[in-house]
Amino acid sequence: MPGDADLIYLDYAATTPLDPAVAARMQSVQSRAYFNPSSNHIAGRRSAAVVQNAAEQVGALLSVDPASLVWTSGATEANNLAIMGTAKQREHRGRHFVTMRTEHKAVVDVFRQLEKQGFEVTWLLPDADGQLPHERFEAALRDDTQLASIMHINNETGAVQDIAKLGVICKERGVLFHVDAAQSVGKVTIDLTTVPVDLLSLTAHKFYGPKGIGALYVAKGTPLIPQMFGGGQQRRIRPGTLAVDLIAGLGEAALVAAASIDEDLRHLTAERNRLLQGIRDIDGLQVNGPLHGGYPGILNVFVADIEGESLLLALEPLCVATGSACNSQSQEPSYVLRALGRSDREAQSAIRFSLGRNTSSEDIERAVVVYRNAVEKLRNLAPERVA
Amino acid sequence: MSADPYNRTVRAYFADTEHRGDVRDGAVGYFEDQGMRIRLSAEVKGGMITRLAFRAWACPHVIAAAEAVCRQFEGRSASELEQFASGQIMQDLAVPVEKTGRILALEDTVRSLGQAVLDRLSTTQD
Repeated sequence: MPGDADLIYLDYAATTPLDPAVAARMQSVQSRAYFNPSSNHIAGRRSAAVVQNAAEQVGALLSVDPASLVWTSGATEANNLAIMGTAKQREHRGRHFVTMRTEHKAVVDVFRQLEKQGFEVTWLLPDADGQLPHERFEAALRDDTQLASIMHINNETGAVQDIAKLGVICKERGVLFHVDAAQSVGKVTIDLTTVPVDLLSLTAHKFYGPKGIGALYVAKGTPLIPQMFGGGQQRRIRPGTLAVDLIAGLGEAALVAAASIDEDLRHLTAERNRLLQGIRDIDGLQVNGPLHGGYPGILNVFVADIEGESLLLALEPLCVATGSACNSQSQEPSYVLRALGRSDREAQSAIRFSLGRNTSSEDIERAVVVYRNAVEKLRNLAPERVA
Repeated sequence: MSADPYNRTVRAYFADTEHRGDVRDGAVGYFEDQGMRIRLSAEVKGGMITRLAFRAWACPHVIAAAEAVCRQFEGRSASELEQFASGQIMQDLAVPVEKTGRILALEDTVRSLGQAVLDRLSTTQD
């Protein structure tokens, strides 16, 4: 296996490195404010102040009241809390939900669980580029629809849904609107004073914060019942001792992001264009998701008739994601790419490049060479089909 | 967390497929199923395998196994192809049990190549 120095890391949609300012902030909190913020003494109050400061930092990033944030272990828990926490609270309205087939597993599996409990879910398909037409969304809403859950930026394709428009539709129809924003918070500007969202999930490690901490934004008045029990923390909505250092890291990551989103987007757009320019003349190459208008940190491509597992090995030392859960146990193609109309073979050969703040032009130039060589190698290796 | 699914031999053979290609006008064994395609071809002189080559659309373990077969059988008697059993290669390449079917498919392909070689030899002798 290649050593760390040789790695070309283009898997920022999976996770990001800690920003140095975040690491420094966490280290400081770990040594000076490690106390239990629920403790009713001066040291506990010091930690409580750290938590409050982080809430203000995250609140500022989203333009929301810091008191509207519930700390969670990440976006998966936030999604569970949002969907499960409202499902049984609003049964008087109905037992119907709306979501998309291209959602992350952290949403898909929650709705699958609700289906097992007798709730009904409408699974919407996007267009071929991953976008959900708002007319299709509106047509799926019913009088008994409790909640719609739509992800903001798709983690596989970079498709961006118009959550402002979808939120307005939900508000008009009295439907709660949840957004899985794991891939968008800290990466694009989200102003919740202008976007009518009731619940929004985020996680720190997707935008240069620590793993193991996230949050759920809960708009004032949104009914939510806890999914965990065992203490009075966070107004009993999500009990448990708060991880002060992780929360401080999330807050710091939000602060850094607020100052760098515009520059990040400029940088990512330039490097994504460099990457696409470098590989687009490969015979048979196609883009999964939007060619224009998507999140510039993600480029998902495939070349027909390339075996996915071998492609991944041939791409080393490039660290990217494949379009399949391809390992020795499973070759299940990506359900997201299947929902875009791709065949199993096409999905299996897909590669998701995801770029980040630290991605250099040299990284991209090396990635282009590695990808081109890998495709050429595997094409030269493959036999002609025998009819 | 996932450990490296490929051992050193798989990585070495996958990186250096020196037997990639075709033997022109050679005997051929071909298989297509289970999400893979594999083509083996051989040149035989005086009952001995003088050259083996392969092409594969398959996972790294199968590609490495095909390369291993080519390295193993060049210079040996053509009749040995029909006797090929994949157990040793499975062990050498640490092929995961889930991929046993694919390696057995390669085994069948090697044997069918052996049959094709023998058919060709018998035709020549006639």
